[in-house]
Amino acid sequence: MSEGGMLAIDGSRETGQDVRTQNMMAAVSIANIVKSSLGPVGLDKMLVDNVGDVTITNDGATILKLLDVEHPAGKVLCELADLQDQEVGDGTTSVVILAAELLKRGNELVKQRIHPTSIISGYRLALKEAVRYIKKTLTIPMSKLERSNLVMAAKTSMNSKIIGPESDHFAEIAVSAMQNVRTERPDGSVRYPLKAVNIIKAHGRSSRESVLVDGYAINCTRAAQGMPTSISNAKIALLDFNLARHKLKLGVQVLVKDPRELEALQQRELDITKEKIQTILKSGANVILCSKGIDDVCLKYFVEAGAIAVRRVPKDDLRRIAKATGGELVLTMADADGADEEFDPSWLGSAGEVSEERLGDGEIIYIKECVKTAAQTVVLRGANEYFLDEVERSLHDSLCIIKRALETNTLVAGGGAVETALSVHLEDYASTLGTREQLAIVEFAQALLVIPRTLATNAAQDATELVARLRAKHAVSQQDPAQGEGMQYSGLDLVAGKVVNCFEYGIVEPAISKVKSLRFATEAAVTILRIDDSIKLNPREEPQ
Amino acid sequence: MAAGGSTETLRKREKEKDVRESNILAAKAVADAVRTSLGPRGMDKMIQADDGEVIITNDGATILSKMKCMHPAAKMMQSLSKSQDIEAGDGTTSVVVLAGALLRSTQQLLSKGIHPTTIAEAFLEASQEAERILESVSRPVRLDDREALIQAATTSLSSKVVSGDSQVLAPIAVDATLRVIDPSADSNVDIDENIRVVQQVGGTIEDTELVNGLVFRKKGAAVSGAPTRVENAKIGLIQFCLSAPKTDIENNVVVSEYAAMDRILREERKYILKLCKKIKDSGCNVLLIQKSILRDAVNDLSLHFLAKMKIMVITDVERNDIEFISRTAGCTPVAHVDSFTADKLGSASLVEEVSLGSGRVVKVTGCEAKASTVTVLVRGSNKLVLGEAERSLHDAFCVIRCLVKKKFLIVGGAAPEAELALQLGKFAKTLPGQKQFCVKAYADALEVIPYTLAENAGLNPIEIITELRRQHAEGITTSGINVRQGKISDLAEENVYQPLLVTISAISLASEVTRMLLKTDDLVGVQ
Repeated sequence: MSEGGMLAIDGSRETGQDVRTQNMMAAVSIANIVKSSLGPVGLDKMLVDNVGDVTITNDGATILKLLDVEHPAGKVLCELADLQDQEVGDGTTSVVILAAELLKRGNELVKQRIHPTSIISGYRLALKEAVRYIKKTLTIPMSKLERSNLVMAAKTSMNSKIIGPESDHFAEIAVSAMQNVRTERPDGSVRYPLKAVNIIKAHGRSSRESVLVDGYAINCTRAAQGMPTSISNAKIALLDFNLARHKLKLGVQVLVKDPRELEALQQRELDITKEKIQTILKSGANVILCSKGIDDVCLKYFVEAGAIAVRRVPKDDLRRIAKATGGELVLTMADADGADEEFDPSWLGSAGEVSEERLGDGEIIYIKECVKTAAQTVVLRGANEYFLDEVERSLHDSLCIIKRALETNTLVAGGGAVETALSVHLEDYASTLGTREQLAIVEFAQALLVIPRTLATNAAQDATELVARLRAKHAVSQQDPAQGEGMQYSGLDLVAGKVVNCFEYGIVEPAISKVKSLRFATEAAVTILRIDDSIKLNPREEPQ
Repeated sequence: MAAGGSTETLRKREKEKDVRESNILAAKAVADAVRTSLGPRGMDKMIQADDGEVIITNDGATILSKMKCMHPAAKMMQSLSKSQDIEAGDGTTSVVVLAGALLRSTQQLLSKGIHPTTIAEAFLEASQEAERILESVSRPVRLDDREALIQAATTSLSSKVVSGDSQVLAPIAVDATLRVIDPSADSNVDIDENIRVVQQVGGTIEDTELVNGLVFRKKGAAVSGAPTRVENAKIGLIQFCLSAPKTDIENNVVVSEYAAMDRILREERKYILKLCKKIKDSGCNVLLIQKSILRDAVNDLSLHFLAKMKIMVITDVERNDIEFISRTAGCTPVAHVDSFTADKLGSASLVEEVSLGSGRVVKVTGCEAKASTVTVLVRGSNKLVLGEAERSLHDAFCVIRCLVKKKFLIVGGAAPEAELALQLGKFAKTLPGQKQFCVKAYADALEVIPYTLAENAGLNPIEIITELRRQHAEGITTSGINVRQGKISDLAEENVYQPLLVTISAISLASEVTRMLLKTDDLVGVQ
């Protein structure tokens, strides 16, 4: 009956060092999974789920999302990657590796009889100092931020991904897309909505032939072949109701005595919809996008009027189009008196051109030159589904990075530069503190080095030597700023296996990404370190 | 039950001593389980519930309520922590730890051959004396002394995961609780009825805010043209549906000619328009619609009309929330359209849809109604943090409630327990016979709180306890463990205060449970 020893609970319980070690092990094994995918020369993972679907990816968040982790501490790390993905969009792998390293070192300290609370407060202190130091010395000021820097940031993020070799091409696409969707809010703040960039995937050709299209694209086709393929000066009606034969509701019964009445009834069913369509067309609409179905019998009215009608357009796309073209999503056409139906021309959105184009083995409808806000579409080409999916994920990461860079206007050097600089600085900082937190801060500093070390290991370079050289550079720059001018940006060039000035070399990341990943990693490590007791209750038995 | 079943119904009889022993052991095991989560530097527990859900918490009541204990004595400890939660809302861990320590001391007393009844009586006396002593070292507080209240709430929050944000949460807890009571008249606060805590993922805990009104965790009905911001709102709350009426199962609408189809369509439009117009005529510009199971509460048509009339619509309001909403906004729920008149409407200065993190919420602020209700919108980066933040906030509310119930504060940091140990030790010497022995043991048991607090903070417990004893013996009644600096200091200067009621209730409840377990000498399993 009871397994919990003296406590007599229905389940198992572990306390103290056992739990800590177990949690640490779980976290480290999660981190080990993603470890080899860090950095420009990181490798990909192939994940096969229980249905047999294959995902090939290098993105930490995606890998962890697909893993079915059972251990609670492991789950905390997976959530951590997810959080980083939501808040920043990139750096998901490094945040997990860092958190696991912090935990590992924290656990070693506990074994040396240092109380977890002291370690926790040490980590918190170190984090605070690290964030302060990044903001003070490591960021690259806003005035130096130009388009070329954004392209660099995008390329840095892409480098580690499958599109690395084509990063020149894709970085240009990503930067242009994000810059084009710049919108100003009524309160004056500037936003770069990620959702305004639509990504469409089409099989065939090579990834170099991916293009950026100014306008919104939807992955749908015209409803009938007789419709024109292109309309300029389009007036777009956005409908959110069925254009099908009108059906009577449940609870309404049709009783006819005369068979001819039945025919008339059927005719009327059609006519109700026909009248609707004619009202819409009369308002001047020549493009009709409908979120629901359009009956085949109704299509002829559109064909006769020379309009494009598209059915089953996803509702989210419709909303976006409504915003971009200044139209309104119409739920019902009832007029203010409730007596009749009308279609107000002001509900129509307008765009310079709406056209259907062949792409790969399918068709795509483009809505170009939208009047209200800019919408951008990236059409990705590639050999197969997995490749396209991975390209989409990589592009998404880069778009996020550019968005952050644009919104916060500060960059830091990549290639392990920030981590090494912080590590050197924190070690100095620790020795100025005479309290028990000192040890924890030193460990925090050591833990940060896991990033450059993993980067070097993944690139098959001599990690020990490279990291040592890197630390030496940073030490010079911090002890003697005059002599070490520019050395605070020193990072690793992993292909050549050299220490270079990453900022000049074009390896940069948004500062906010680094700050947040440090913060999240520390929070996750603290959350797990605080646990000293794990109670696992037996699953409830299903009643037979 | 058949006659002569006396031997059958009483399945298991254990020896008196064994029963007491096993009860005490089981209860002590529970106390040991939560011991490490006491105090500002306490550790967390990770509990995987029977449905697989994981929670990480530091709140004693939550930990115990999630643990599935089998032993009856262990269950008593669970309900002990629950009653402390109900009575005081805070100190749920300390009450269990205290009970565990008292039980341990009774074990020693029992082994010396003192009769359980004598111990129980002596403990009763000791706990009464303890209450008196505590009152003598407390200080009164006025409810308009906001600073002192915030300080008390901060002390309670300091042991939680969210302690880093206590400067945000403590004032919120104080303001929320004070708003729902009449400080001069009330002697209790109904927290669950008057304070609504709404969780929304996204942002950080620092973004948590107090809303004088309502927060709906949903967006307004998404129809283009519908307003998302209404100033000087007139709020209507309806419990009827704005959709085409349905016939009963037995009845049918019969269509026998094609013109009738048009009529049906037109009638539906007219019917709904009539409802909407009636609502509009009353002056309403924000409409809350109760969730309906039998029929659609709204349909496309009515949303469209309401959007055209510039009425903001919030659908799917839960039935349970109706009362809270009507008290907050000052509106009367309307069950039929005929009774929808202007006097049923509530008012607010602003109703606005705002986007927060990943989702959108509708905020109703500036309600004119005199009803004393508030909503706290809790933000956090993930569900675990949100859950813990809500539990911590609840504790902070309870602290303020305690102060409303009993307007006295006492210093924290184990100072009261140390003082009690000293004073009760003196008191014991005035007692005759075996009682003296028992009360002395009781006094020593109370030192478990400073001991555990020091241990959890990574300090040396023996050093701390001896220093604490010394200072109290010198008459510094307010000296306690300053966990942050890791030493003993005068906590009155540090402003670490907690409500007197929390400590009193913890001591009296723990003593009661101990006495009850002592007096139990038989365990009978009835099947």
